[in-house]
Amino acid sequence: MWRFLRRLLTSEYLVLLLTALYVLCLWPFAPEIVSAQTALEVIMAMLPLLLLAIGQTFVLIVAGIDLSITSTMAFSSVVAAALMTGDGGYLAGNALAVPVALIAFLLIGLAVGCANGLCVVRLGMPSFMVTLVAQTFLSGAAIWFTSLHSTSVSIGDLPAAFSVIGRGGIAGIPYALLLCLVVAFAAHWLLGRTTLGRWLYAVGNNPRAATVSGVPTGRVIIIAFVLSGFCAALASIVYTSRLETGTPVLGQRVLLDVIGAAVIGGVSLFGGRGKISWVILGVLFLSVVDKGLQLLGLSQSIVFAVKGGVILLAAIIDALRSRILVRVAA
Amino acid sequence: MQTSSTRASLAVLRSAPALLFVAVVVLFAILAPRFLEVQNFANILTQSANVAIVAVGMTFVLLLAGVDLSVGAAMYVCAAVAGLYFKDLPAPAAMALMTAIGALFGAINALFIVGLGIAAFIVTLATLFVGRGLALHLSQTKMVFAGDPVLAFGQGGFLGISYAVWTMAIVLLLALWVQQWTPYGRYLYAIGADREGARKAGIPVRRVVFATYVLCGTLAGLGGFVSFSQVAAASSGFGLQKEFPVIAAAVLGGTSLFGGRGGVLGSVFGAILIQTVQNGLVLLNANPYLYPLVISAIIFIAVLLDSQRTRILARLTRRQIRIEPGVEARRSTAT
Repeated sequence: MWRFLRRLLTSEYLVLLLTALYVLCLWPFAPEIVSAQTALEVIMAMLPLLLLAIGQTFVLIVAGIDLSITSTMAFSSVVAAALMTGDGGYLAGNALAVPVALIAFLLIGLAVGCANGLCVVRLGMPSFMVTLVAQTFLSGAAIWFTSLHSTSVSIGDLPAAFSVIGRGGIAGIPYALLLCLVVAFAAHWLLGRTTLGRWLYAVGNNPRAATVSGVPTGRVIIIAFVLSGFCAALASIVYTSRLETGTPVLGQRVLLDVIGAAVIGGVSLFGGRGKISWVILGVLFLSVVDKGLQLLGLSQSIVFAVKGGVILLAAIIDALRSRILVRVAA
Repeated sequence: MQTSSTRASLAVLRSAPALLFVAVVVLFAILAPRFLEVQNFANILTQSANVAIVAVGMTFVLLLAGVDLSVGAAMYVCAAVAGLYFKDLPAPAAMALMTAIGALFGAINALFIVGLGIAAFIVTLATLFVGRGLALHLSQTKMVFAGDPVLAFGQGGFLGISYAVWTMAIVLLLALWVQQWTPYGRYLYAIGADREGARKAGIPVRRVVFATYVLCGTLAGLGGFVSFSQVAAASSGFGLQKEFPVIAAAVLGGTSLFGGRGGVLGSVFGAILIQTVQNGLVLLNANPYLYPLVISAIIFIAVLLDSQRTRILARLTRRQIRIEPGVEARRSTAT
């Protein structure tokens, strides 16, 4: 019995099991949870979260943390929206408006990631503090920027060619899902099959050993932050086109979901451990929990509290798991 | 010669918060004449009291190289419970109640951090969620109003100084005494500088860490009380992201995020500095949307200074290692 429990706890797919268990427990109370409609809704809700979590994983693997992702989303959302909105945008009506806006999204994501990385590496500041400052700064900047361009709290009237990204698809497969699959596969390949992937793990496990072995530690950390910013920009594109408005409060609440999902999946906060497949399972788990609580008709505040409990539970399981692993190794 | 220049830059970096404060005061004094009035300084002190009190607890946590992200949530829970169920309590009793709830909140954090060995960052992140969710649920996301005795505390004063400032001063003096004159204070620095070494030296590390998170929660409760008495009503945004200015105040005051360095006096000073900037911006009629930009820029400078100081200190110790004779011996065994 004890051995079985131990096997279960150390299994890579524990989270998947927990998800199934959760659905089973909820089934009698909310039968709609087992339906194609719910599955589709969960998948659609999970996509931008997954993009963010993948970006976060790179940073977590090098033992950093990126708290600025949601503000990066918000800021890029309002700037790109201001470029292409039909309501007095810089490029309103121009055929190039959408491509330029898309480039603006990505450039902002890359620039924020780069700035974060440079502060961490060149200035030696803790990533927690750097990205916390970036978060406050960018969300403040996003609100300020919106106040310059719109009398309301968001920038609407975006071109139809842009909202297609979030709502349209090829042969019934949404573009967002395709984008997510591409990013997930690319990230999986990058972590598992390239030198950069090896370097990321090496830096996270032991930066000094990595430096001594000739890994360009600083550059690797900067790349991790840039990738995180890039993924945040992609998620921002998906969210903004879904909402059809640029808003400075975009995704304000998902930050903890993202970090929680990665940690639940088994990515270590201390660096060196993490896989894309784990992250997918973590995001799936959190999205299913969210959906289940909604189906039960619980209030938003209870959902909030339960999510915190779930994150704590995941951390406890993680602690138990690493304790067992240490004992097995010894 | 090189060491003397590093020592000089260290000295500059150490006094940087004070220099920053002087620069801010001079700048605002020139731009807004009203800034220098005595009443304005009294306002600044009164308004910074809640952040300063919470920052004292946070300083002790940071000295251990830990962090507590849940202080804002703790403040909200305390205010919600006090405002909903104990509205008619006299001010001292309400203060004691909220402080006790804060202590309980801190004890829960400590239980997970010390008992289960989970990273403080993730534990307090989770309790932030749970606490806010709980308080939102209790208050049905509606405004929670403070009772009249609590309100009287927020508006009243003694000897022309507001109760909030008195509370801040008492907390600061007690914390200074604990930090400088008790074994517990000494342990904080020892554990923050070298946890393993402290354990080997016989310091009850787990008990000290536990007590520190409880203390941080307690002071969050007290800070929540002071804030609650001043704003008179706790909306669903009460204490939201309060952890940010609190940690910033400590870092501005010279407390290191890496543990073992800093102190409560600096943190209170940092809280006052942040409030001074905010106050100055209000007097200048600056666009309110720009406040977070200015504040985050100042915090950025503070963190940058801290990391530079840490870096210089690390370089100084590395030099000493190189002179050690052990290095030669190790090199010969390797070949």
